[in-house]
Amino acid sequence: MPVVPTLFDPSAIMGGIAAHALVTARFTEIAALRDRPGPDGSPALPPRFLRHADEQTVVGMHAVLAALAACPEPRPDMARCAVVSASCQAGRMAAARTLVQFHDQGAVGVSPHVVPQCSLHSIAGAVSVALGMHGPHLGVGGGPDSLAEGLVAALALMQACRGGADPLPGVWLVATEWEEEPALDTQGVPEGDPLCRALAMLLVAGHDTDLELDLRGPATGRVRPREPRRRGSGVAEFARAMTMCRDGTALVSWALDCPWPGAVRVSRRRGVPAIMPSTGLRREAA
Amino acid sequence: MTTATRTTATPTTGGIVITGVAAVSPLGESMAEIADELLAGRSGVRAIEAGPPGRATRQFAAPVNHITPPPPGTCRLTAAEFAALDRLTQMCLAPAARALLDGGLAAPARDVSPADGPRIGLVLGLGAEHLKAWELDFAAGGRQVLEDRCPPSLVHRMHDWLGLDGPAVTAAAACGSSGYALAQAKAWLEAGWVDAVLAGGCDILSPTSLAAFHNLRALSRRSDDPTRASRPFDRDRDGFVMGEGGAFFVLERRADAEARGATIRAELAGVGMSSDATHMVAPSTDPVQAARAVTAALADAGIGPADIDYVNAHAAGTPVGDVAEAGALRLAFGAATDGIPVSSTKSMSGHLVSGAAAFEALACLVALERQVVPPTVNLDSVDPQCPLDHVPHVARARQVHVAVSNSFGFGGSNLCLVFRRAA
Repeated sequence: MPVVPTLFDPSAIMGGIAAHALVTARFTEIAALRDRPGPDGSPALPPRFLRHADEQTVVGMHAVLAALAACPEPRPDMARCAVVSASCQAGRMAAARTLVQFHDQGAVGVSPHVVPQCSLHSIAGAVSVALGMHGPHLGVGGGPDSLAEGLVAALALMQACRGGADPLPGVWLVATEWEEEPALDTQGVPEGDPLCRALAMLLVAGHDTDLELDLRGPATGRVRPREPRRRGSGVAEFARAMTMCRDGTALVSWALDCPWPGAVRVSRRRGVPAIMPSTGLRREAA
Repeated sequence: MTTATRTTATPTTGGIVITGVAAVSPLGESMAEIADELLAGRSGVRAIEAGPPGRATRQFAAPVNHITPPPPGTCRLTAAEFAALDRLTQMCLAPAARALLDGGLAAPARDVSPADGPRIGLVLGLGAEHLKAWELDFAAGGRQVLEDRCPPSLVHRMHDWLGLDGPAVTAAAACGSSGYALAQAKAWLEAGWVDAVLAGGCDILSPTSLAAFHNLRALSRRSDDPTRASRPFDRDRDGFVMGEGGAFFVLERRADAEARGATIRAELAGVGMSSDATHMVAPSTDPVQAARAVTAALADAGIGPADIDYVNAHAAGTPVGDVAEAGALRLAFGAATDGIPVSSTKSMSGHLVSGAAAFEALACLVALERQVVPPTVNLDSVDPQCPLDHVPHVARARQVHVAVSNSFGFGGSNLCLVFRRAA
């Protein structure tokens, strides 16, 4: 095989994190968020915009608005930003209701909203529509490794659209998950009052942010990946690492292992040494 | 607006090229078989039975009639294990394995020392994997949708079965999902993250998705004549016809493909993307954002409208969507519009939803390889609101050096891909 593996240059694929926010909401709190997500002073959404949205979409929107409120000036041109959502089993509650109603009532029992509102792209689509973002939007993942997939897709989008006459000023990454996947009844109602979590971060190409991301991978193939996750995509750990790296109190970098050989590293913008894949939490010299 | 003069129609020395192709579709599996069907104007639409168990009703769609299992040695599953997989998994895995084989990168061909192995990534364009998986399970008596479990995604299982070692991502942009998979693949290769990417997507017909799209009033109701129901750009169109299937491609940097002596089928020369940001379902009546995606793709490819020899339109046959796309093409192409042949192969394949963009990329490769533009069948009377250079009923022979494919989706997603003929 004459293919020569290519070493990639991490500096070419870095992204700065201009703002981020982690939010959580119990299932019983989400109904109120549908009418008014985000902190006080957030942009108003179109009336009843989230009425049919999946629960993860509601909490994801809440996170974007919280990150937007925390985003320092000058902000990128939001109307030209892209959106990548990375969700884990979004739409399951509506799917449960749909399948039971279809079984009981036939086609008439299927909501026309289930496809546009409960598919993998729906969270990104809702953020794009609600906040008027005309950059590309896509949903990524869908399973327990969705955060790693979302980070790769968002960095790729930044890489692909960083030049030309119409470069992307920023990419919103919205990662959502239930803390624990809940069991549902046949109406799609969860047992207990599960916690939904969403992390929104605004990735930018500039170099004036406190935090930056880069993707690390092997220079050659044939490195065995780790087993895919069975639960939780690492949203909480990643958010905690970002906060700690930004504050510089305990960490200067942290790497999220991917299910393929590689890792996405978040670090405080300093001249820190590179870390290799398969690390996990690690203290490094500043 | 980009220049209206021909800037280039020959491959650049670099670029991202396609070296492997395979499909599963209502019109066949191999590129040759699908080319013959498309260029003959044959429809894959027919009557089917769909509905809840015991209460199925007569509907119409474009189903896949046969899924050829992965050839021996191309994946880690035995024939019996493949046969036990659900239909969605089979329909994604089988063409993915055959595309790798077609590209000369199936596992046995890559049996090299670890230090020399190419890094192969996987991007699966699939918009509703879990909805479909839960539905298949529920119809079989299972209750996975109600259970507190979270199994690995299909893309990671395929990654393992195919022995790949680059990144693996599921990408979803509704009806543009598999086109966004190609866009991601191009970005990964240009960034140097991987040496090759297997990218594409497939989708399946399912009773609840048929019901959901029917209740959205998005589907044609021409049940008395199924093969004539899918009629993009026609004055009497009344919605789309669902189909199933899709395609997968192996993409590489040209230098890598040439170094290993791979057959280059075409270049993925340009990608353009944008969002309408107006509505979760309906396309914008303002063509600016869709046209922006087209213009960006041309700029990425380094060409202008006059360089385009064929447009495979998204045109699904919905009253609103076809008019919006015609407006976007006119806005993007300007004075060159009237000389660019446009057709919608959904008139024959139906709308493959997540798999549509990949299948229509394959249709572009057919045009580039055969030097013939596929037709829009059932286009009896062109809607005056869609004034384009249509190719009604019968394929049109012409030189095709550059082919463009549009894909638009729910949420106002706009994607345009530009393909250039191999040298």
